[in-house]
Amino acid sequence: MTVGMAVLAGGVGRRIGRPFPKQFLLLGGKPLLIHVLEKARDLEEVEDVVITCPEAHLAETVELIRNHRLGSRFRCIVGGATRQESVYLALRALESTDSVVLHEAVRPLVTLEEFRALIALPDENATYGLEIPFTVLKGHDYVEGVLDREELFNVQLPQKFDRAKLLAAHEAARQAGTEFTDDASLFVTHAEGRVRVLPGSDRNVKITVPPDILMAEALYADMIGRRS
Amino acid sequence: MARTCLITGASQGIGRATAVRLSREPWLDNIVLVARSAAGLEATVEACRREAGQSPAIHPMPYDLSQLDGIPDLVARIHEACGSIDVLLNIAGYADPKSLLDTTSENLVTTFTVNVFAMLILSREVVRWMQGRPAKILNIASTAGITARPGWVAYAASKAAVVSLSQTLSEELAGTGIKVYTISPGRTATELRRKLAPEEDPTTIMQPDAVADVIAMLVGDRERTLDGQNIIVREQR
Repeated sequence: MTVGMAVLAGGVGRRIGRPFPKQFLLLGGKPLLIHVLEKARDLEEVEDVVITCPEAHLAETVELIRNHRLGSRFRCIVGGATRQESVYLALRALESTDSVVLHEAVRPLVTLEEFRALIALPDENATYGLEIPFTVLKGHDYVEGVLDREELFNVQLPQKFDRAKLLAAHEAARQAGTEFTDDASLFVTHAEGRVRVLPGSDRNVKITVPPDILMAEALYADMIGRRS
Repeated sequence: MARTCLITGASQGIGRATAVRLSREPWLDNIVLVARSAAGLEATVEACRREAGQSPAIHPMPYDLSQLDGIPDLVARIHEACGSIDVLLNIAGYADPKSLLDTTSENLVTTFTVNVFAMLILSREVVRWMQGRPAKILNIASTAGITARPGWVAYAASKAAVVSLSQTLSEELAGTGIKVYTISPGRTATELRRKLAPEEDPTTIMQPDAVADVIAMLVGDRERTLDGQNIIVREQR
């Protein structure tokens, strides 16, 4: 079975508060995207890595990959207007692979072991997920209901899917005009088959808002043994 | 004799804040503002005028300090226009933070040209005119020059060089009446800092006028003991 990887690097930096895509922010002196791609480089199981990025940052991303000598398994494509569209384009670009691992540039602290455990899992489709440690309610301006957190989990990447089945699910979602912010949701809505949930890690944080990078710096310092 | 202060990097950030702060000093007759951006310098002149009216005289002199060969002529023209150079504030700075593998030769050369070589050549040229009278040179280093800063290798190394050259000049010029000061500001809300830490909220860190207050204290006549040291300027909250 051949394994490919899609790395989503389509950020334009709106929520981080600067006109600066998050994937290029430095963590421990290296761009977030490079933290992820260096791990992909060390995964012998992965034969093809596609990075989706905004057209305006395509050249910059290609240069990063060249500077960091990641090798010929890595290639960049222009992503879509939405996350879902970017995944769809990556799935099409990974046409010679049976299984696809999905990850995002803004989760730089993912570990090699997490990737390896996911790939080695016998299930075709799987996601990492975290228990929800806080109370969740339904509503916006007023509380409209109670959600049982025991029935819920926090979706965490990486994920893996049978590429052909996920692609078919994306085609169905496009036909139906449905939009999702994650592929496990899309898959269970538009495909036959189950998605296994693996226990995620509190350390595999997603850099979304400015304080996240401060937390990631502290976690990274701990990972490399530099915590003071 | 009229007294003159030359400020580089005066079009924004700490340079502009220092120009505005020093325009309130009664002992200064001339403030010369140097930076690449003529528009930025004009905005600094306006800010000084709002602060202090018509005195001291403010002289904007747009110049790109990466052009090292023209610096001797620039300094000579300033001396001719003002009659003296009594204080040099080397505030201009450049940063293009990259990981080691993404740091180009051009990035390294520009960073060291603006942050180190221009500072040294300016210092050499003003010292020619300062000889024989009390004078002060103040160089802006950075806390990045004294601790590891992954991703800022060119900038941090250039600021370490500033600390070193300042301490050397301080000793070399001992006995001439020229005092050399070094300050290393911590996180300061400037355009340069925005490049170094784009995710940071600038309202939560030290503002340029806090650094300008320290500079004004150091270059004033009453300060005689803090030269030759690397002075850390940090606002603790």
